[in-house]
Amino acid sequence: MPSTTFKLRKLIGVCLLALYLLLGVPVWYKLTTTYRAPLPIEYIHALHEDKLQDIHMVIPVYIKCDTYRFPDLHEAVQVQVNSLLNSKNQNVPWSLQLMPYDAKKLQDSNTSKGADYHVVNLVLDGFVGFSLAYDAKETTVFFDDSSVITNDLPFFIAQTVVEHAFELEWSELSSEKSLKATNSMAISYRPNIHVSISLLTGDGYPVSWEIDSTLKKYFSPLRKFLSPLVNFTVDTGILYYNDLNLHTLNTRKNVTWQDLSHSIDLSELLSMNYFSESASLNLAVVFPSEQNCKHGLSFINDNWDGFLVPQWGMIVVNKYPLKQNSSLTERYLTPIMYQFATNIFQLLGLKKDSQELISPSITIDSFKRITILQNIHKAEETLWSLAKLTQAFQTMSIPKEVLRNVTEALELRLQIVDMLNDPFQGDDELWNRALILSNQLVELSEAAFFHGEMVQQNFFPQEHKLAVYLPLLGPITVVTFFGFIRLIKEKPDDKKKRSNEPEKPTGNVVEKTYELEE
Amino acid sequence: MLGIWRYILIALSVLQPVFGVIESKHTNNWAVLVSTSRFWFNYRHMANVLSMYRTVKRLGIPDSQIILMLSDDVACNSRNLFPGSVFNNQDHAIDLYGDSVEVDYRGYEVTVENFIRLLTDRWYEDQPKSKRLLTDENSNIFIYMTGHGGDDFLKFQDAEEIASEDIADAFEQMYEKKRYNEIFFMVDTCQANTMYSKFYSPNILAVGSSEIDESSYSHHSDVEIGVAVIDRFTYYSLDFLEGIEKDSNTTLQDLFDSYTFEKVHSHAGIRKDLFQRDLKDVLITDFFANVQNVIPDQGKDEFISAADSKISGDNKNDSFVPNILNLALERTAWESEKIRENETSAGVSPFTKTSKLNGNNWIRQEGSSTNTYPHIIAVIVVLFTSTIYCLIPRSASPTSTTKGQRLPYM
Repeated sequence: MPSTTFKLRKLIGVCLLALYLLLGVPVWYKLTTTYRAPLPIEYIHALHEDKLQDIHMVIPVYIKCDTYRFPDLHEAVQVQVNSLLNSKNQNVPWSLQLMPYDAKKLQDSNTSKGADYHVVNLVLDGFVGFSLAYDAKETTVFFDDSSVITNDLPFFIAQTVVEHAFELEWSELSSEKSLKATNSMAISYRPNIHVSISLLTGDGYPVSWEIDSTLKKYFSPLRKFLSPLVNFTVDTGILYYNDLNLHTLNTRKNVTWQDLSHSIDLSELLSMNYFSESASLNLAVVFPSEQNCKHGLSFINDNWDGFLVPQWGMIVVNKYPLKQNSSLTERYLTPIMYQFATNIFQLLGLKKDSQELISPSITIDSFKRITILQNIHKAEETLWSLAKLTQAFQTMSIPKEVLRNVTEALELRLQIVDMLNDPFQGDDELWNRALILSNQLVELSEAAFFHGEMVQQNFFPQEHKLAVYLPLLGPITVVTFFGFIRLIKEKPDDKKKRSNEPEKPTGNVVEKTYELEE
Repeated sequence: MLGIWRYILIALSVLQPVFGVIESKHTNNWAVLVSTSRFWFNYRHMANVLSMYRTVKRLGIPDSQIILMLSDDVACNSRNLFPGSVFNNQDHAIDLYGDSVEVDYRGYEVTVENFIRLLTDRWYEDQPKSKRLLTDENSNIFIYMTGHGGDDFLKFQDAEEIASEDIADAFEQMYEKKRYNEIFFMVDTCQANTMYSKFYSPNILAVGSSEIDESSYSHHSDVEIGVAVIDRFTYYSLDFLEGIEKDSNTTLQDLFDSYTFEKVHSHAGIRKDLFQRDLKDVLITDFFANVQNVIPDQGKDEFISAADSKISGDNKNDSFVPNILNLALERTAWESEKIRENETSAGVSPFTKTSKLNGNNWIRQEGSSTNTYPHIIAVIVVLFTSTIYCLIPRSASPTSTTKGQRLPYM
């Protein structure tokens, strides 16, 4: 073989190896490597550790006094409020911004949207006390002249406002369990909740009920009242031949709550799969069967009894069965709607146990704020879980969409924090807007965590990798590398000849070359 | 009658720690039942899963909270002498494939990917809710798997396999997102105990039918069906569970004690190091049943009186009774009145000028008015307009205006 042919062969060998290494390996790496978008892990970690401490919720409160003019009362109350709040360990920092009553600002807002800001009314009376308005965000503090002389009034106001008017914030944000939902009765907060209202009868007789007019009259106002917090969708239906299995209890003499829990069968009413909302509440009005309970259910004392089912809803059990072609009137359904409305507050977590709601307006307002903070906390925890998992599972892909969702969520969080921290903004509109944004924040963080492309088998045994790659890469690698090594070791024929037989004519070499090529 | 039980319930909850009884914190139960094998000769795996389905459903877990994955449709197999039926015993006493079976994943939908997606709830948007595991931090989940397995893996559909690491990682993702309170993992395959060996997330209890390098066996064959109809481990589990009712106090320790080598013909294994509670405190119904607590609701009379006063108050404009619904009703009434006021004021505005001409405020006098000036003016305006309309020549057709003729603001 002439040296030029040998050089050409060597060049081709080098080219093939270079192609293998410079093109093949990067392409293989590119095609087999899962895309992992760079998430802001450090920032999320800092949020989880609460290193940023950028939340300090401030709620504006206006003090109004028609009797006396106290030019510096709000400053004195501010000092007392701060000292009271600092006396307790605050897991989520919050404070009140006390301001003198601004008639222009507040009257403007009140006429357009109702009582938007929290107002403390000071009323001169013969004793010291307070009352919370049932239908407005208003606290009335009664004081006497001696409390003014002894300078106790600022403390009275501070105590009333912090410990009573803002009782929910005071208890939830200043305790160890803060922002962790521990209520076994209430469902997890969701902005959209479905309400299923069912009439169940143990018989198959045709029955009707005036549910449409009752709902329009009583439930629609409640829906509207709670609409800043929750959007309710409602469906109604009649189920025949279903008494929730209550007839089995009729033979027993002493029915306990445990018997009821074990006998009741709600499986046919758990139909939340058919609705798009992620949470649902139920109201079931049950009548026993005439055949099984002719004389009524013995464990029901009156005409009907109401029962609460934690995180599910309410059951109204009637003592006597429905007659043929019965129609349940609005008059019958109205007290049930009253009871259900009160229970909804408990099932949403707006009140605990059966305690009375002193001021629904103030409670709803506080609940909004707690929910906003809970949503922020929930989103932070979700993002932290996402960060941890992506670090733990290195083979899991992280699509760009996840990064986009995470970035949007973090920006949204800052926007909400700015709203919460503003000491001069605190009307209904602000809290409603912050709540809507916080719901979006949760949605974005969950969309990032539950992204459909982040599912792959994380674990691949070595045998699997070998089984996949060996048939494909084995032959190519073996041929390329061994061919190249052979080429390196090979010497040109004229050199060989020169070392062995230097006098031999070149014609033989050509002949031999042909033989080799064959 | 039920009122006193409310207080007893509260007292019991207070005294529980004193007596050392630790109840589960869960409020809802879910079940994921998976058969991974295909083909007629694996009839028993379908029967295993359907038997478990029947048990959890009997104990109150609703279909919406059961995810049933059946890798083959043996009920409709042409070799089935009892079309549409599946039996787990040669006495054919119970048809497991009755009218009310809701299969969520069937045939080739039963894949490793779908199973992992189900556990981690990572789906595309079009996935229906009925095929998702919508659990939360209050959910107890019972996961049952059956099929052909080996050391650290379980075959799916004769085409792929799931490794124990995959399930462990999926559980970890569930734990991170607070998607369970407790998990009870039961697996009936050959070398089943290896399937839970890699778990590392807390609050998981696992039980398997056989040790490493040990086979799981079928219980018996049915001559008419021609194949084995149930596996031994599942058979004896079901034998135990048949005696359980929703109010049963039997614990998981009792179930595990019932597994003997003589019965199962293999060494059933239990992994409890990740589980917080003592197995003697864990009721069978904590995982196999759905017991909804029912609490008597107080204050019925108050609501009846509130409703009565509202109904009667409609007629005589009674005063406000403090109640949430009354507050909502009052707020709505106030708002609608405000809207009405606005509408009314907007409606009478054309007459305002007239009233001002006479020095009266017409807005304050809603409804019928004794003043007839507006009516007279309205009549005059109508008459004047119609006269002008009659005087316009009919033949003339409208001509378009030129740009120069148009007013500047046009």
